[in-house]
Amino acid sequence: MSDSADTPTEESFEPTEPNTGEEFEPVQVFPDEGTMDLRPGADSCTKCSTCDTNCPVAEVDDEFPGPKFQGPEQWRLKQTDDGDEFAIDDSIMDCSNCMRCDDACPSGVPLSQMHNEARGEYVDEQMSKLSTEYWRNRILANYRTSAWLASKVPRIANVAMNFGPARWVMEKTLGVTSEREFPAFATETFSEWWAAQGGAAGSRERARDARERRGEPLDADKKVAYFHGCYSEYNTPEVARALVRVYEHFGYEIVVPEQGCSGTPMFANGMLDDARRHAEVNVSSMADLVEEGYDAIASCTSCSLALRQEYPELFDIDGIEDVAENTFESIEYLRIHEDVRGALQDAEIEDELAEEFAYHAPCHARNQGLERQAVELFRDLDGVAVEDVGDSCSGISGTYGWKDEKYEKSMAIGEEMFDHMEDVESTTGMTECPTCSMQMEHGTGYDIRHPIELVAAALVE
Amino acid sequence: MASTPRIVVVGGGSTGAGVARDLAMRGADVTLVEQGNLTHGTTGRMHGLLHSGGRYAVSDQKSARECIEENRVLRDIASHCVEMTGGMFVKRPEDSDSYFEEKLQGCADCDIPAEVISGERAREREPHLATDVDKAISVPDGAVDPFRLVVANAASAQEHGARIETHSKVTDLLVESGEIVGVEVEHGAKSGDRVHGVQSGRETIRADHVVNATGAWAGRIGDMADLDVAVRPSKGVMTIMNVRQVDTVINRCRPKGDADIIVPHETTAILGTTDEEVEDPEDYPEEQWEVDQMIETLSELVPMLADARSIRSFWGVRPLYEPPEVGSEDPTDITRDYFLLDHEERDGLPGMTTIVGGKFTTYRMMGEEIADHVVSKFGMDADCRTADVSLPGSEEFSVLRDYMDEFGLRSPIGRRSVERLGSRAEEVLGTGEPNPVLCNCEGVTRAEVRDAISQAGADLNGTRIRTRASMGNCQGGFCIHRLAGELHPEFDEATVRDSWDDLLQERWKGQRHALWGNQLQQAMINYALHATTQNRDHDPATQPVDFAAFDSGPGSDRRLGSDTVGEAADGD
Ligand SMILES: Cc1cc2nc3c(=O)[nH]c(=O)nc-3n(C[C@H](O)[C@H](O)[C@H](O)COP(=O)(O)OP(=O)(O)OC[C@H]3O[C@@H](n4cnc5c(N)ncnc54)[C@H](O)[C@@H]3O)c2cc1C
Ligand code: SF4
Ligand code: SF4
Repeated sequence: MSDSADTPTEESFEPTEPNTGEEFEPVQVFPDEGTMDLRPGADSCTKCSTCDTNCPVAEVDDEFPGPKFQGPEQWRLKQTDDGDEFAIDDSIMDCSNCMRCDDACPSGVPLSQMHNEARGEYVDEQMSKLSTEYWRNRILANYRTSAWLASKVPRIANVAMNFGPARWVMEKTLGVTSEREFPAFATETFSEWWAAQGGAAGSRERARDARERRGEPLDADKKVAYFHGCYSEYNTPEVARALVRVYEHFGYEIVVPEQGCSGTPMFANGMLDDARRHAEVNVSSMADLVEEGYDAIASCTSCSLALRQEYPELFDIDGIEDVAENTFESIEYLRIHEDVRGALQDAEIEDELAEEFAYHAPCHARNQGLERQAVELFRDLDGVAVEDVGDSCSGISGTYGWKDEKYEKSMAIGEEMFDHMEDVESTTGMTECPTCSMQMEHGTGYDIRHPIELVAAALVE
Repeated sequence: MASTPRIVVVGGGSTGAGVARDLAMRGADVTLVEQGNLTHGTTGRMHGLLHSGGRYAVSDQKSARECIEENRVLRDIASHCVEMTGGMFVKRPEDSDSYFEEKLQGCADCDIPAEVISGERAREREPHLATDVDKAISVPDGAVDPFRLVVANAASAQEHGARIETHSKVTDLLVESGEIVGVEVEHGAKSGDRVHGVQSGRETIRADHVVNATGAWAGRIGDMADLDVAVRPSKGVMTIMNVRQVDTVINRCRPKGDADIIVPHETTAILGTTDEEVEDPEDYPEEQWEVDQMIETLSELVPMLADARSIRSFWGVRPLYEPPEVGSEDPTDITRDYFLLDHEERDGLPGMTTIVGGKFTTYRMMGEEIADHVVSKFGMDADCRTADVSLPGSEEFSVLRDYMDEFGLRSPIGRRSVERLGSRAEEVLGTGEPNPVLCNCEGVTRAEVRDAISQAGADLNGTRIRTRASMGNCQGGFCIHRLAGELHPEFDEATVRDSWDDLLQERWKGQRHALWGNQLQQAMINYALHATTQNRDHDPATQPVDFAAFDSGPGSDRRLGSDTVGEAADGD
């Protein structure tokens, strides 16, 4: 045993996984209900600071201590005794949850899990439930609820929400910046459209027709459950409609199960209870479908990331692992199973979409290894060019850039992306993330599209 | 003041520091002499368990009673050195039931509050405990920081007029007309103020009485006056884990055995220990298998330890003593009790008393007994006050506060600092100056480091033991240069460099026994960092640099000397 090559830890060492043993499952040791013990996650940290150099907030905000502190250091220093009302440093609320640190860490430290847990504890234990900050964050995090309301009267909402004096009041009383324009609500939600198309039954028929046309077996096992997320439900149903058309074109039957918010804005605001409520709905409907052989797809990269990574990291819900393993981003899934690039080679774009696109890869796409997919996919499509505007963060990070006190930082982070977008010939941008798209539009005035819309334009229309 | 007795205490471990404080508080003129820094000996290499006495409740009830008594005293007078984590004696299915019952009875006999809890309850308290642990006895064990405690004792002694000399070695005992009358001391020759007290040279310190509190070295001091003090040094290994896998002290409930305790200590957990007799307390083999075996054995209690990161291992030697007539074969059979040897009574040589054996937990009680003994020789009737007067730093203080508001520190950092500094927190942290964090792993700020330097001088190891700087997962890789920077400009470049090298070496020594997985990765990163930013792979500053041999840049004719590798390898 004196030879260190024989030490029991040797075989189990895996540089990209927290070196906390196969058995390691965070457990609850802290007195406050629900907080997991992530101290062992600090075992993988070598203090290399790669995470810090990749943090967009730390880059523009000297006060922000950075992910190394927020994650492994804060957790290692954390104490288990009850009653410390300052247990979590309040700088955790300055992290935008872009999760770039997660992706940057060469040692597999569970950084975003650490941030999410700490933020949840901070909001639960240390933030006053009577503070404006709490309610502002809660309202922003529960965008789905506001959007649902607004969608009942979209035209009025569009005017009212961006009505000058109303925005002034919102900024003064709630701390929601008046610099940004609220996104427009669609007059027809995706669900309304979907129902009008005959729902799942209609989809099955159209998929069968497509298979027949494509010379594929009629009973081919091509079934997906679509997680559309709040934004393409209420604001950009054109993205969801494009997805439906593209998938059906390739012979996929689509179902749209009951779903809530993915939880992304709730994680970022430390509202873990809210997030869990929605996660329970999502997991329970997705898990049944996964069992029946469906794969889950999402057109928003933050939604797919939530289902894949944050859910199993933060919650213990029946079927959560199966759902996580069978969830994909929509372009990613197509690229795995279909020769989309080949199909696009033979296609051509002529109409208004014949453009050069300024493509921004969302941080959450980066975390799933998807940051090059759009550039690669459209390389040989005639009539368009997709120009990567670099690997910076857009700066909005969901609700972050909507907060009055974060707005300037958000724009400072976005600066690099805006600059590169301006260098692109046209005035059209492309990204998979709805809030990145808001930021891109806000910073440059460009019109922003989702890659699935371009696929639809090339192959279906 | 002609009647004030002059006492020399040899040894700056817990025993020596405790005796020095006690005697100084009673009005004696005390000089403490230590060959290294404070805690250089066994005290700096122990497990950090504040015994409840449970461990000795079956085998040695006298020690057990002393432990619980002192455990209560230290919680009170040394609150900033103690964390009352609580402890459990856990029983695995293969451990004897009757021993479990004996243990419980023993605790009752010795007034140690003990309670049986089910395996389930035990796992609720410590979720990483093995699933087959069937029951446990909960006892008031705690964790204690030996460094802080000894430093506080020395500081208190100093407040009461004592002189503390570290890096000063006793090389001989002065014997005149059949009596020990002082010590011969060689002060450390290291440059600058690295020595706490007098620097360099020899000194004769005359004394009315000498207290030999040199632990495992007591025999050597005895030898200087031909006294036979048969200390039987016994080594034990301890392994420090990167994080706390447990928050209470976990003991295995079985008769004496190796590798049966896990002590949560500050940010870490310490595994220990073993018991093996050695010849020389300063030179004994440190073997990897001892570490491997300990991790393996303790994984039976806490399975995740098998794959968890350890940051270093270290060995300590117990100063075990037994009267020569006992003659135990196995060191684990030697009593953990302490012995006071009055050399006048025992060997007919007045002027010195030796104290050996015992435990860290009972250091104060040992100090009291020896101080009683010494003062009685001089007809003083001062009472012992060490059990009633708090140590510096342990006066009333609260760790629950708004650290950002009070000290401008991030919560976990402020909290750790205040815990370390205790009642001195305001004085040390409230400087009003910018106060960056220097050691990120342990959350140690510049103000705390500067305070430590004001006590320890240029000895960065002394700053380490006071602050925990460099004791976290990077083992000083990212902070020792910052600590060294704080020594300047008070100390010159050579001193700073010397001290910086010493601390790096000290940190490296312990890491050698943890070089696999993450700690190996850490060591490689530290190496790369030090090689590329500090030129530690080849430091020209230690040799005269021939600047003239450098190329003076583009456009000049002067080239490197023709024997350089670059030229030869170029080939053109
Ligand atoms: C592995 C291990 C684990 C332990 N764990 C615990 C525990 O968890 N709890 C507990 O209560 N006890 C524990 N102990 C016991 C405890 O550590 C010791 O009993 C105690 O620290 C002894 O302190 P000391 O001052 O007597 O000896 P030391 O700390 O060894 O002090 C003697 C000092 O004398 C100095 N010295 C020697 N020669 C000279 C000289 N010629 N001139 C000047 N100075 C000199 C040495 O440098 C040394 O600093 C443990 C012991 C070991 C070995
Ligand atoms: S999630 Fe983003 S903002 Fe938060 S610490 Fe990581 S890199 Fe920084
Ligand atoms: S990148 Fe990973 S290993 Fe490096 S400092 Fe950050 S958390 Fe630690």
